[in-house]
Amino acid sequence: MAYLSTTNYLEDKDFIDKWLYTMRTGEMDLSWMKAATEKVKPHEANSRRGLTYRDLDLGSYGFTGVPEKVRGNRSYAPRGAEIPAGVPDAQPWVSRKSEVWAFNTESYYEEAVSRQWNVTTDIPWERLDSVELPETIGKALSQLMTFLTEVEMIATDTPAMWLPRLNPDFIEVKAFIAAQAMDEARHTEAFRKRALTTGWGLMKASPVNEMALKHLRDADSFSEMSVALHLVAEGNVLTMFRFSEYLSPTDVDKRIFRLVMQDEARHVGYGMQHFKYVLENFPEKREVLHAHLDEAENISFAGSAATELTESFIILAGGGLKKENIEEGIKITTKFNLKQMEEHFERLDKCGMPERKQRSKLYQMYEMGRAAAEAAGIKL
Amino acid sequence: MAISFPSTDYFEALKGKMTAQQEKFRRLGFIDTTFGVKVGNNGKARNFVLEFEVFDLKNVREVDAIDLKKVDFMIEGDARVWREMIENIHRNGEADSSHDLNTLAHFGEQLKIVYDDPDGHDKLYRFMESIQKFFDLSSQVEVSFS
Amino acid sequence: MAFYADKDYTTDQTVFEAVNQVMSGNLTLFWYDAKTEKVKGKPTDLRRGLTYKDLDLGSYGYSSIPENLRTSQSMVARGSEKWGNLPDMGYVVNRKSEIWADNVTYLYEEDKSRRWTPAVDVPWSDLDAHPIAAPIEAACSQLYTFLQECALVSMDFAARWVPLVNQDFIEQKSWMCAQMFNWARLNEAFRKRALCGGAGLGRASVSGEQGLKEWLWADSYPKGSLSINLSLGGIVLAICRHVAAFAPSKVDRVLMGYAMQDSARQTAYGSGQLRYYLTHRPAEMSAMQEYVDDSEHVMLALLGSPELIEPLIIISGGGLQKDQVQAGRAAVAKFLRLAISEYFERLEAAGLAASRTRSRIAPVVERISAAA
Ligand SMILES: [Fe+2]
Ligand SMILES: [Fe+2]
Repeated sequence: MAYLSTTNYLEDKDFIDKWLYTMRTGEMDLSWMKAATEKVKPHEANSRRGLTYRDLDLGSYGFTGVPEKVRGNRSYAPRGAEIPAGVPDAQPWVSRKSEVWAFNTESYYEEAVSRQWNVTTDIPWERLDSVELPETIGKALSQLMTFLTEVEMIATDTPAMWLPRLNPDFIEVKAFIAAQAMDEARHTEAFRKRALTTGWGLMKASPVNEMALKHLRDADSFSEMSVALHLVAEGNVLTMFRFSEYLSPTDVDKRIFRLVMQDEARHVGYGMQHFKYVLENFPEKREVLHAHLDEAENISFAGSAATELTESFIILAGGGLKKENIEEGIKITTKFNLKQMEEHFERLDKCGMPERKQRSKLYQMYEMGRAAAEAAGIKL
Repeated sequence: MAISFPSTDYFEALKGKMTAQQEKFRRLGFIDTTFGVKVGNNGKARNFVLEFEVFDLKNVREVDAIDLKKVDFMIEGDARVWREMIENIHRNGEADSSHDLNTLAHFGEQLKIVYDDPDGHDKLYRFMESIQKFFDLSSQVEVSFS
Repeated sequence: MAFYADKDYTTDQTVFEAVNQVMSGNLTLFWYDAKTEKVKGKPTDLRRGLTYKDLDLGSYGYSSIPENLRTSQSMVARGSEKWGNLPDMGYVVNRKSEIWADNVTYLYEEDKSRRWTPAVDVPWSDLDAHPIAAPIEAACSQLYTFLQECALVSMDFAARWVPLVNQDFIEQKSWMCAQMFNWARLNEAFRKRALCGGAGLGRASVSGEQGLKEWLWADSYPKGSLSINLSLGGIVLAICRHVAAFAPSKVDRVLMGYAMQDSARQTAYGSGQLRYYLTHRPAEMSAMQEYVDDSEHVMLALLGSPELIEPLIIISGGGLQKDQVQAGRAAVAKFLRLAISEYFERLEAAGLAASRTRSRIAPVVERISAAA
């Protein structure tokens, strides 16, 4: 599947002679100096923020001016450069702005660059030395970490898979996606490292959730991938991180969850903004996205059968395996499950898909679950 | 009191400053490299081996000769060039663009980078900001030249 | 290509039953005695924190990854217990020799540790205070246009392969994510620099892009890695060092200082991967050598492209006057010799012996450098 350049430059006599001539005589062609490109002068809008991508949103270089259908660039040329005949086709699959764009993409990227953290050094691992968790809690925590390690890496594969398929004119989106892949590698690292410091190691894989991971990756379009990954899956994970922070058995775990939460909120933020953008600018896509959500919600619901995860969550929430612990754990886990679903529909609502509730089987499950919880006296 | 260059005392003094400014070096990141410094003077040379680890200069020692198999790379130069660099750092608080390590060593005409293994050589560039900031600490030390 | 679950779970009685069982307090605890190794990893050096190397333990360690991965095609975390019906993710890089490098876990830690922020770590406003002469600024805008093309392709390369690499190579995949981010950041820095001097962007390079696409689309990971990480990374590193040495402004010097660190990590990995591959797959030596013979012309396409070489002459010489151009091309001749000789050094150290004597591009570059 290799590509061969249109010229073998070793055999291109004109190319080599011209280069040789320039080096020998100092006479240059300098035609690039007359490139028909715009002259702009960007400035830092806020010197504490420095020079941002938003400061470069000027004329033909700006993201605001990118048309809905990018027809002018299919090469590796940066947006706004002069593109001579003869450059190769980068074979982008996605050249439609509304398929990828999100209000604020550039800021999400800048935020990612500025808020990088390091699992190795920013977590006080040494404090775990003196921590001896009870077996039940230690194992439950390890099981939760095993699940999280498993799911985080899909969020690197999936954006990475799409990145080279995006037209190079969507540079801010590509940059955001690259930053997300790094964030997710860091999350995998955080959870793996934590599992391997509990004393129990990693536990059992989660086959039901693995199915969800494959669904997340194998979407037919970027927008469908994004709604399933950024909105549904990462939305669920964000709620889960918030609960996990609250349930954390040590301050080391609290710190991990607080830090991953920041990153996750950014991914969900991008997902929401993109979902809004695509619904507004590509109305034909609404039905396609509904159909993809049908499947995403089906798989999301299937996740409730992942007993290994639910049970470890219950133990962590209740603080152990005694009857009263389990009762308390179930209460909190029920709240968590309902909260996850509630927030999911809230997000869709906010992004401009309020009709989702009427169509969604998951929403019916949510209403049933809510009624049952209230009947059982669980305060929501 | 001025510390004479070249000497282990000089590098020890920079090491002390480096430890005192941990935060700055932490921000620049891990620096894991062992390299040689060779200061030539009228056909003779004094050789030092600097061993950096994590964020610190772990160890510095003077040796008779630098074994290129045991260091990542060696920065070699005439005492005159080293002196000019250190004096420039003193004047400006940090090396200006004609006196930083990269510039002085770029074509090997003033300082020269000698190495056995290209992977070791690349470490100079991987850790360049830390190494440069380390030498820039000379601005905070009184140096005399023998 | 969409993947659908094996059934509609929202109408599946077994799900409801499983949920009801657990939520009424009847825990199965079937996971409680997972058949996995019990470990408690610790940082060996507190200054360094808890590294992946510290967790290179038993069945969890990267040292025990076998050459051929035959039984893991899912997303299961290496070392955890596999059970049930796990999906096949379709990974195609399943041999350790095709992707691994001995320095990869260190490089990942180094990358995170040595991060920077182009928006604030480069003194951008210095260009307003000390503007550069017009021809040099034009040269900068062209040079940084060219560098964006290199950065974009490098970012795409890592991204293209990440989803194809077996999940058991977790540290390796993490490093590749770091590479993607690394190049996104360089691309950002180069774009900001090109535009903030006021000259706009320049022209895309036909020879450059044709060559880059050939390298990017190499038909196996080891080949592509050699081209993109070792060769292209090496060219970008040499350019960064050169521009830093001849920096027309403080902005260029600071930016290139960071950029050289980032690109040097790419060459370090590229060399490490090639070495690992050739050491573990000696039979591939001649195929690799042949690939280098066939694709090496891209070095010429890049180094000889007027969109790179002409601005470099202007920047190195300090302008367009005759004596400046004279000085500029002398410096660029040295740059070419340096870039090409370091390229051969890396290839040879990684195991492709006698690359320089075998190469057909070496005499071409020598002839061109000598002409200056
Ligand atoms: Fe994540
Ligand atoms: Fe995420």
